[in-house]
Amino acid sequence: MESVIQLHVGKEGTYSVLKESGHNAPYKLTHYGAPRLQEHLEMIIMSASPGIMDEDTLDIGIHMKPDTQLKLFTQSFNKLHPMKRGARQTTVAHIDDRAVFYYIPHPVTPFKDSIFKADNSIYLTGDAVLIWADIIAAGRIHMKEAFVFNSLHSTTKIYRNDTLILMDNQFLSPAKQPIKKLLFFEGYTHQATFLFSAPFAKELKAELDEILTLEYSDITYGFTQAADDIVMLRALGHDGELLYDFMGMLGQLCWDFTQHMQEERQLKQQADERKGENLVEAGVTESTNLKIEKLTGAEAVPEPTKKQTVKKKSNAAGNSVVKRSVKRKKALSSN
Amino acid sequence: MNPLLTLLQINDSVFPIGGFTHSYGLETYITKEIVQDSKSAEEYAVTLLEHNFYYNDAAFFSKAWELCVKRASQKKIAELDALVTVLKAPYEIREASRKLGLRFLKLTEKLHPVKRCSTYLKAISSHTLHGHYAIAFAMYAQALNISYQDALSAFYYNALNGMVTNCAKLVPISQMDAQQILFKLQPVIDRLVAEQPHLSDDLIGNCCVAQDIRCMQHEKLYTRIYIS
Repeated sequence: MESVIQLHVGKEGTYSVLKESGHNAPYKLTHYGAPRLQEHLEMIIMSASPGIMDEDTLDIGIHMKPDTQLKLFTQSFNKLHPMKRGARQTTVAHIDDRAVFYYIPHPVTPFKDSIFKADNSIYLTGDAVLIWADIIAAGRIHMKEAFVFNSLHSTTKIYRNDTLILMDNQFLSPAKQPIKKLLFFEGYTHQATFLFSAPFAKELKAELDEILTLEYSDITYGFTQAADDIVMLRALGHDGELLYDFMGMLGQLCWDFTQHMQEERQLKQQADERKGENLVEAGVTESTNLKIEKLTGAEAVPEPTKKQTVKKKSNAAGNSVVKRSVKRKKALSSN
Repeated sequence: MNPLLTLLQINDSVFPIGGFTHSYGLETYITKEIVQDSKSAEEYAVTLLEHNFYYNDAAFFSKAWELCVKRASQKKIAELDALVTVLKAPYEIREASRKLGLRFLKLTEKLHPVKRCSTYLKAISSHTLHGHYAIAFAMYAQALNISYQDALSAFYYNALNGMVTNCAKLVPISQMDAQQILFKLQPVIDRLVAEQPHLSDDLIGNCCVAQDIRCMQHEKLYTRIYIS
């Protein structure tokens, strides 16, 4: 079956809203809860099919306008059924300036003899933000179907302003690789990759350096600055639900961090604009004073201007942002 | 210049470019006692050569060699350099590749300058390109008339030599065991070198997830002897 999902996100006032979108069987694209419950858009991809069958293709197209925010969810584990020729899924996302795209789908479960190719291309523009994860299971472990799929090949490319900034290439084929052993799953049954791309990825990495300091018995993970504007975290675990929750927790952390950073940047920009206006006005006053000084030989005392009063107020606003930032950091640490 | 002697010199483990300061994640494996004896050291070495090095540094070497043979433009080299950079996700691995490439180019320029290499060096020094050891090594070896097979075999050998030397120091395994692994894996290297030109482009940069994780965990190891 050849399927398509198209999702366009636009801006109406402060709300991110669904624009020209479409889907065909067996997929359904619908609001995840009430459409205007929050300012960002939440959508869920649902499927009437028990999973992906042989020769199925799915093309997902996403376009987000500037300043929009989308959380895209999936309904359940993506089950890959036994195949002879294979199935394919392509995702192409265009995320405009300052837009935020969150997509953490349920794990992919490859059944015996399944063949799957996934190609993901994400095009970020300007200060767009990406929160992305994928989880791959060994198979139906409790049906004694671990690592008996044929092949699973997933390629993710992230571009910013048309320059490739990260490529993740993962080809798994149990018959050709010592997949349970060293360098691959190392005794675990699930693997996950989490990606956060933003102009403030370095700041997030610094936060993670403080937060993710513990080792856990159920999972093993590592994270790194994969590029100037990308943080990558990879993990291995025994439980798909647990890894899914872990990715979701990281995703929400990055989402909150993004809201905070965007708010802070906006306030800074506003403060800079006010500062610029102040300087212009101060420049005029200064030159006037100089003229007075030249004429009289006396030191002129400038009158306080309205703009200077505004500047003091903006400093007070800045301090409250720092206080809020500290509070949020503490909350994140305690979580 | 004598190609064999040149190859022996530039591929020597004590060629002063800092190769011995990197473990490429192996130090994490040893610290976590996943690699803990000669048997696990050999398993690690074989898997890394066959499933990681073959798809990554050896493949980058092969692509760079191909471009040099075709006398491809600097733009093509720049594209390959950018591709390698985006494929090397773990920070320490990416930086190791840059540092070794930079030092290799600076040193070999003093030995026998090669125009293509000097241009690459300038681009790295000016931060126009990131810089990678696999590309630099292939570029220089090709220019000095070393055969593809010899250069690539030596490139694999050097990677394996680094692994067993690190195991001898850190696990530790005996020097005898280390040398036996090095000798025993010759057929693996021969096979990989023969297969290298046939590697499909869509598999270049294929990652081993646990190896990546161990490289990332190295950034946080409490005690670190190696840079990566």
